[in-house]
Amino acid sequence: MDSCIGVEQDLDKALTKFNSLNDNTNRVLQDIIDQVEDLRKEIAKQPDNTPLTPAQAMVVSDLAASVKQTVFQMSTEHRELHATVSRVGKSIDRHFIADYASVAPKAESFCNDANRPIMEQAIAQHLYRQGLEDVGDTFVAEAKITGVERTCTFALLQRCAAALAEGDPSAALHWVERRAHELHNSPLPFTLHRMQALKLAREQGVGAAIEYARRQFPAHAARHERALQAAVCALAWCTPGAGPAPQIYQHLLDPKALGAEAAELFIKESCALLRLAPLSPLAGGVLAGARVLPALHDIRNKMAHPHVIAAWSDDELPFEVDLGEDGGGYHSVFACPILRQQASEQNPPMRLLCGHVISRDALNKLATGAKLKCPYCPMEQAPAEARQIYFS
Amino acid sequence: MNELKSLEHSTLKVPYEVFNKRYRNAQRVLDVEARQVGSGAGELDTASRKQPVTTGEIDSLLGGMVEKLTTMKRKASEAITEEVQAAFVCKKRLEHLKEQAAALAEPSAPQVKPMSYTSQTSLNQWRKVRLDRMLVDYFLRTGYYESANKLADARGLRDLTNVDIYAAAAEVEAELKSKRTARCLQWCADNKSKLRKLNSNMEFKIRIQEFIELVREDKRLEAVRYAKKHFSTYEEDQLKDIQHCMGMLAFPKDTEVEPYRVLLCVDRWSALVVQFRVEHARLLHPARLPALPVALQLGLAALHTPQCARAASQEPACPACQPPLAALAARLPHAHVSHSRLLCRISRDPLNEHNHPMVLPNGQVYGEKALKEMMKEHGSIICPKTKEVFCMKRVEKVYVM
Repeated sequence: MDSCIGVEQDLDKALTKFNSLNDNTNRVLQDIIDQVEDLRKEIAKQPDNTPLTPAQAMVVSDLAASVKQTVFQMSTEHRELHATVSRVGKSIDRHFIADYASVAPKAESFCNDANRPIMEQAIAQHLYRQGLEDVGDTFVAEAKITGVERTCTFALLQRCAAALAEGDPSAALHWVERRAHELHNSPLPFTLHRMQALKLAREQGVGAAIEYARRQFPAHAARHERALQAAVCALAWCTPGAGPAPQIYQHLLDPKALGAEAAELFIKESCALLRLAPLSPLAGGVLAGARVLPALHDIRNKMAHPHVIAAWSDDELPFEVDLGEDGGGYHSVFACPILRQQASEQNPPMRLLCGHVISRDALNKLATGAKLKCPYCPMEQAPAEARQIYFS
Repeated sequence: MNELKSLEHSTLKVPYEVFNKRYRNAQRVLDVEARQVGSGAGELDTASRKQPVTTGEIDSLLGGMVEKLTTMKRKASEAITEEVQAAFVCKKRLEHLKEQAAALAEPSAPQVKPMSYTSQTSLNQWRKVRLDRMLVDYFLRTGYYESANKLADARGLRDLTNVDIYAAAAEVEAELKSKRTARCLQWCADNKSKLRKLNSNMEFKIRIQEFIELVREDKRLEAVRYAKKHFSTYEEDQLKDIQHCMGMLAFPKDTEVEPYRVLLCVDRWSALVVQFRVEHARLLHPARLPALPVALQLGLAALHTPQCARAASQEPACPACQPPLAALAARLPHAHVSHSRLLCRISRDPLNEHNHPMVLPNGQVYGEKALKEMMKEHGSIICPKTKEVFCMKRVEKVYVM
């Protein structure tokens, strides 16, 4: 946010200056044009071949000087704006990081001839998944990609969601009706029916909406009592000339927000039902990458020490990044609480008799002869009694 | 440090470069026009001092002056309006970034207090737009102009992406592909000072190509004349290339002798296209790579776990273990994890104090909730992995610190 505001200030300054310069140039030039025109009219009053009086000559010469001065002044004024313009550029450089790739030394390899086709396959897959067949086809032709499936189940869902975002729930409702028995625990059907009712209220009047609500809402009354009440109440503000709705109903009466929300819910629920990933591999990867970048930049700023550069060539990222609830954590990862490192096939998790889990390396280190004391509780046991367990 | 700061530099910098270019252009227009008017005023001044002068002469000089001033006014206002428009493009993008800046500024916000559903929705929406912007940017910088245009149009992203700025580049490339150099030379001339700063040899390469084409057409005398005109002002490191070119004059156009065979090869044209694309991007973007591969690489590295490589533990939702990206992730480092992050393999729910990890006698760990659910349904536990059947009594708790 700070970075945006910083740049915005400089940009706004530049914009105001340019706008006022524009007005100023126009006005000053118009003034001088008028002056010249006036003088010309004055002189034209005399016949063509009369000689110029010394007084007139003076006026003409003065005017010529003032014209000259004005126009050069103009170009100087514009030149003086250079500082303002370049300040915007410097401000962008200062507030944003230009060389974001410096922390991703391996990104270069994604663009080489061996890897580019793989990445572009993922892009094409993403485009088709988004239901952008047209763009996808163009891209496949331009980039000469092979082996991407054009049709996928997800594109169908995506189209329903896009229609929802546009405010039309009919396609999604159709999809939901066919799977009603699998969705009885989901808030999705009610959300869609509510949207349809509010849409009817807008398009065909409150009567049609109430009619629709009578048919559809009772089935959902038990689970969505409050939301149902709110939806029906919101209908009161759907009549023409009803005045502004109170705060709590405004959300329901805004078709765009409601549509976007329903679209997201639809994708989430339908993907869960069909066991599909709600994000394409490309989108998932990029989302996680966008989370990692700032953290990497941060740490890079902090560690300018040369030996730290080795961290970049290691086979692990130099530190842990929290990818949030929706952006990562696709696998179970067990990190040994003693060694603070990921378990591997050579160093698997071992469950002690007391139930605590440590890695095998840690276990071997802690064991003294035939005895091992659990590091977390008083229990003692033989190292051989620990059992390997599997998290994945 | 946040995502905007790390990723959006070029989003603003590219339109700024356009703004800056328009500014310099406007300055040139103003200077030229001012000089024109100035010389007119000078003439008027000398005429008025010269005796005797008639009012007729002065009248026509004044008429000329009005005309020049009017032209200046028109041109100045046009040029300045263009500048303001370019600045507005910057402004528009800034507004777009600001839309989500507040939500992105606190990456820890979701844990502290759950964001309201709507703001989460709009954040997701914004991220979708960001991905589309990255894709358009990647397309433009890789030369997939049509895809870029179609995607930008399909998503209404013309203002937020550089498709219009790249339109000229697309034309130059098309011209180069059909072996015409005029547009590219024009472009080199327009950006002369910047290209020199970047140490670009684009223009020289084009000149050599034109020379080669003359040789190919067997207009060797003309080629020599061309060389006299354009190669005489060579720079230190270009001498060798020029020597090669001149040596070529002695060989037939279908020669097998190196390096002349390579010089006469038609592939040089596609190399020129690629070079132009790189140089054009260098003028606009400070970063050498588009954001997409960078973000993707880091993302895959962050998602990459040792399990991704094992067929038995792959996840359908994990980008790093599904084709096609798995092939890329395989060569990347693993994510660094110092705290366990466990998921139930049946329900995909996290394992924690509310959903205890439980171990079956065969060592497999699942969530307590899912196992209880299974108990209710089948009356026994069937390990999803090994299909062995157990009773609930033999399932034990696991404590993960």
